[in-house]
Amino acid sequence: MTHVLASQLPVLIVLLCLGTVAKVATVRSGSELGALARLGPAVLVPDRFRSWALICCAVGELVLAAGLLVTTHPLFRWGTVAFFAMSTYVLLELRRRRPDAGCGCFGEVSSAPVGLRSIGRTVVLTGMAVLSLWAEEPAWVAFAHPSWEFGLIGVALLALLSPELDELADRARHRAPCEQRRGPAEGITLARLRSSGTWRAHEAELTTAEPYDSWRELCWRFFAFQNQDHDDVVFAVYLTGRRPAVRVAVVSSEDSRPLPEYTPV
Amino acid sequence: MGHPSVERRRVLAAAALGREPGVPGAGSEGGEPLRAVTGEIRDVSPHLIIIETPEGGEERLVIAPWATAWHGGDTPPADLPMGARVMMRTLRDGRVVERLWAETIRLTGTIVSIEGRRDVTVELDCGPHRGHRTAVIPYRATGRLRVRHPQFEPGYLFDAIGIRKDGAALALLPATSQPAYPARAVPAPPPAYAGVQARISGTVTWSDIFDAEERGVGYPMVERSDAACADAGVSCAGLPYLAIGSLLQVRNVCASRSANLPIVACGCLAGRFCDRCVECGTSPRGRIAELSPTSYVELGGELITGCFNAQIGMG
Repeated sequence: MTHVLASQLPVLIVLLCLGTVAKVATVRSGSELGALARLGPAVLVPDRFRSWALICCAVGELVLAAGLLVTTHPLFRWGTVAFFAMSTYVLLELRRRRPDAGCGCFGEVSSAPVGLRSIGRTVVLTGMAVLSLWAEEPAWVAFAHPSWEFGLIGVALLALLSPELDELADRARHRAPCEQRRGPAEGITLARLRSSGTWRAHEAELTTAEPYDSWRELCWRFFAFQNQDHDDVVFAVYLTGRRPAVRVAVVSSEDSRPLPEYTPV
Repeated sequence: MGHPSVERRRVLAAAALGREPGVPGAGSEGGEPLRAVTGEIRDVSPHLIIIETPEGGEERLVIAPWATAWHGGDTPPADLPMGARVMMRTLRDGRVVERLWAETIRLTGTIVSIEGRRDVTVELDCGPHRGHRTAVIPYRATGRLRVRHPQFEPGYLFDAIGIRKDGAALALLPATSQPAYPARAVPAPPPAYAGVQARISGTVTWSDIFDAEERGVGYPMVERSDAACADAGVSCAGLPYLAIGSLLQVRNVCASRSANLPIVACGCLAGRFCDRCVECGTSPRGRIAELSPTSYVELGGELITGCFNAQIGMG
């Protein structure tokens, strides 16, 4: 029976931590695009408090998760129950007042309008938290000796009630083509260029190891160098893949016609 | 970094990928080529205008009988004041003027503050490269502007056309219907399914931040690190990333004219507008480029309407 009572603690803790991470990530990336205007309980507070509302929520979740993990103190147990019960109320209220807003439970992944599934999930979570009230050990014991059957039942139930999983599957299927995605940082692409065979073939001719110009066009990033004859050596590196295609051309500095040298790799 | 010419990028990129470097310039379609001429008025009569060009030379142009002028309102060309800066659309290789715009400016930006009750003073944030500008909306124009700018408060976008008068920038006409979202909450582009289309449709506008007689475009979708512009790379039109120096083919769908124009600036403000142009039919959503006035006029655009329906592709 103890197993049953403590079985949902690991699930709750993992979920709370996931929520924290996703919310913080959303605040860090989303604040400049104003994505918070459509997210979660944050839409119920005035504009300038929105990111703070999400951060407070994230911190609260983290504190609850840490407390559940290390102690059996009723403050954290009851706190978790209260947190999820309150979430249920907030989601109901959100659905009534702003039917277009997402729940924001996992940051911007939860941008789909609040539906019965999201509300059902908080109800189930409240139930799990209530169940865990009577567990005798702190959650790290449950992590050490997990009861797989009940844990998996909990996870399956939550997965069934999570609209975020559908959203993630959709995003993976309809990923923007590489021309429209933000590319990796310049330094990463330069490192990939330097690990390519084409680079090693031309490295000796270059006067400096750092490019004098670099720019991105569509799926390619270009690096321009000068060689010892004062001609331009330009490398084009494809932006996706660990070992991307690299092309090179040597263009004489006077006229604009390239020397006939294309080496696709 | 800091290479003197970004024009070289086009040649280098074409060499590396083994493609032809495009040539900037107007396309062949669209009838008689238009030329935009700018300068300061030295003298004007009903049939002849004498201007001082930005290089300091003097040019004499014939005013066509059907020519019209705009200087805060429609006026006969002969009534334009001496010393006014004019932009002219000309035919016959720049000899015959058919449309004149005097002291015309465009005030595009995010509203920072609003002051005044009768004449309203609006401070605009015009992006990281362009700084702040102050626009004055005279009382007679407030109604017309406010009706197209329902969210008239800090944080929202503003776009108007006006004139320069006694050193102040007067906003007189709305250039668009204001987007309903705050400037920092641009909607996401529609999901892209299979690859990028060769041509992207949307609205193309003009901006007065370019140098006189400069031909080029400001393009919103450039990498932030390349353009040193923290606001770039935002658009609701699903645009591909290009670089400053890339060649863009811009086609005015309304006038059936096209031109290959280099990207010369980061159009970080254009990307924040998710509006449409209704110049001829309704364009798809999204401001895809911002042209210099010279390029805009040579593509057959009318400065006062502020936009034309356009298609862009790689030059």
